[in-house]
Amino acid sequence: MKRKYKEYVIITTVLIYLTGFAVWGILKKDNDISFYERRRLAGYPDIKLSSMINGKWMEDTERYLLDQFPLRQGFRELKAITMYSVFRQKDNNGIYMADGSLSKLDYVLDEKSLQYATDRFRYLFRTCLQGKADNIYVSIIPDKNYYMAEKNGYPTLDYKLLIDKVTGQMDYAAYIDITDLLELNDYYRTDIHWRQEKIKDVAEKIASEMGKKITEDYINKKSDIPFYGVYYGQNSLPVEADTLYYVYHELFEQCSIYDYETDAYVPMYHIENEYADLYDLFLHGAKSLLTIKNPQAKSDETLVVFRDSFGSSIMPYFAEIYSEIIMADIRYLAPDVLQYYLKGSDFDVLFLYSTTLLNNSKTLR
Amino acid sequence: MVFSSISFLFYFIPVTVLLYYMVSDKLKNTVLLLSSIVFYAWGEPRYLIVMTVMILQGYFFGICIEKYSGSRYSKAALMVSVILSIGTLCYFKYVNFLIENINKAAGMTIPLLKITLPIGISFYTFQLISYVLDVYWGRVTAQKNVINFGAYVSMFPQLIAGPIVRYADIKSELVHKKKTDGNQYKISEIAYGIRRFVIGLSKKILVANVLGELAAVYKKTDDDSILFVWLYAIACTLQLYFDFSGYSDMAIGLGRILGFTFPENFNYPYISGSITEFWRRWHISLGSWFRDYLYIPLGGNRVSKARWIFNIAACWLATGLWHGAAWNFIIWGLLFALLLIIEKLFLLKYLEKTRLIKYIYVLLWVIVSFIIFDAASISTAFAAICKMVGFYNIPFLTTASLYYLKSYAVIIIIAIIGATPYPKIIWNQFEKKFIHMTNAAEPLGIMLLLVLCTAFLIDGSFNPFLYFRF
Repeated sequence: MKRKYKEYVIITTVLIYLTGFAVWGILKKDNDISFYERRRLAGYPDIKLSSMINGKWMEDTERYLLDQFPLRQGFRELKAITMYSVFRQKDNNGIYMADGSLSKLDYVLDEKSLQYATDRFRYLFRTCLQGKADNIYVSIIPDKNYYMAEKNGYPTLDYKLLIDKVTGQMDYAAYIDITDLLELNDYYRTDIHWRQEKIKDVAEKIASEMGKKITEDYINKKSDIPFYGVYYGQNSLPVEADTLYYVYHELFEQCSIYDYETDAYVPMYHIENEYADLYDLFLHGAKSLLTIKNPQAKSDETLVVFRDSFGSSIMPYFAEIYSEIIMADIRYLAPDVLQYYLKGSDFDVLFLYSTTLLNNSKTLR
Repeated sequence: MVFSSISFLFYFIPVTVLLYYMVSDKLKNTVLLLSSIVFYAWGEPRYLIVMTVMILQGYFFGICIEKYSGSRYSKAALMVSVILSIGTLCYFKYVNFLIENINKAAGMTIPLLKITLPIGISFYTFQLISYVLDVYWGRVTAQKNVINFGAYVSMFPQLIAGPIVRYADIKSELVHKKKTDGNQYKISEIAYGIRRFVIGLSKKILVANVLGELAAVYKKTDDDSILFVWLYAIACTLQLYFDFSGYSDMAIGLGRILGFTFPENFNYPYISGSITEFWRRWHISLGSWFRDYLYIPLGGNRVSKARWIFNIAACWLATGLWHGAAWNFIIWGLLFALLLIIEKLFLLKYLEKTRLIKYIYVLLWVIVSFIIFDAASISTAFAAICKMVGFYNIPFLTTASLYYLKSYAVIIIIAIIGATPYPKIIWNQFEKKFIHMTNAAEPLGIMLLLVLCTAFLIDGSFNPFLYFRF
């Protein structure tokens, strides 16, 4: 190719690329949500004189242009592939892939966070539970890194230290160790959470330690929607979607589940899940306070569960045992408010938290 | 607006360049001025008025200086303009630093002013000062057309992070004499400008930002080790070079696209054999500005040894302060002053005799200096330097530091090679032998880099230009 032609080709291709994407960006219809990133995308900001003077309109426009850029997901995948294949980076946006599964780098033990979490739990104990609760238990759910980081050469948390520090501060609760019951396959490949259909043994162990027994057989039902978990969205590598199953038993039909946030009864599973996060299928995702009542349960006892999102998928197993399960998420509900809902006594209490939340506990109230 | 943004790349640049080439030569500077105003207002709408006032004072006093040349009015006009420029810069950049230090020293509680630093003020202020001084010294004639003058000061390619373009450098191009030399000249200039811009963009987005993430990881970690602090120091040193030289490449490239030839700002500084040479290769436009407008007017080296040492110290104190109103910048500047004095007094002749030691010497001091430069405080910088040499009770390595070494090894190697002239030398030799092949590969390479930059831009949130804060 002659030099003159080279120069024309450079100018023409760059001009077409820049103006082509600019025009495409203007003409294409804006997306409301990103299915892959599981979040709302920025819309075109309203033009206001005040926001133009203080620069907010420009900032919002930059965000809008980034979010609505044509082929956004394709470009994100290209970046992830370049990071892994060209730069040989071992993670992209802090998410790494090993043994076919995606996980987030999380290796610094935040002792202040653990202390804060156990302080909040103790406050709960003093204000809501002391003198009322029969038995108090704590179980800690290890994140996926526990089963995949170290053996693949990734830095990892000192889980033993984490568990020792948390349980050491919770002398009012009996610890139920579930770490040996889980393995990497019990978690979604593209998400942080465990798979409901794989954790019946965990539920049985917890129930057993609480002096109860799970006896029913559950059938697995499959969601038709492909499940792209939270790590998929953050990493952007072209990874096959997970298949989401949920366990079913006819006893669920007789359960009434009350959502205090919406002041309404809801089904056990939100099958018509219109949210970006398919995991929200389980007990409608993040909820501050829910009760599951089963008049046909094996006992007329009550279980109070303080939990994070992992609790949503395991609690249906407990519906056969307890006539009432109160599920509280103190990220969204202050303990001072909660005491008005825990009026009875002689109930069992389970603190069920993941290591991820305990190590990043500032959202607890 | 930043160069590495969707708004700039896909909307601002195509519209501006198309408009610029659609209008007649007479209107080109008007388009340039208006687009520069939009560019500046996009990021800093509140301070547009400050820049406008500064441009008008430079324009007005430039004409006065020339009109009353040789009289005391000319000197008075020069003094007023310089005081206005420096005064405005000091007000926005240094007044809170001064108050903080008075409060600390005297135990007072003078409230800080609620002001932020206008973007690019350090750069356009220096351009204005050099312009009025050059007019006063008779090196250039005053620009009578306010549009042309405004276009020069506010020219968006170099407005907010340099290089510091002197009026003398582009005065002829401002009236478009050079660009009427035939159509083919423009095409080759535009193609060169695009190539230079894309290379700069890639240096910034594909290298500097990725290294910046490593530096940011270190700053946030509690998992300290000697290996990790060295990784941080190397990442930080390379990031600064690729970030700033990438911006300069983009500015030079954009200048070429619009028909201007800006001065080079970097010349592979990390291959220097002395700190003296390093500063001839790093931020050249700033170094030469201080040489011509401060060091030489103070007497340069044609004075007594004591006065010469004072001149160097004053110059480097000013260089440090120019980079920021904080003690670490002052120490950074004075460290270079000390090294330069030592080199000029006796060390340079010994360094020249060595083959490898001189490079190690330069790189070690540059790394140390950039740790000081990058640190949030003096104590943080001091702690990092102590950790590097093992004065802290931290392990040599941890699983995390080993992980980050493996994860960033390739990009660090790419950056180290890219900071030397060898890739360019190899490419030039290859071009000589296989001209047709390189002519075909070059557009492909440029497009590939542009697509990759777009991908990194869309997915990345780590995108600050380090030199914006100056």
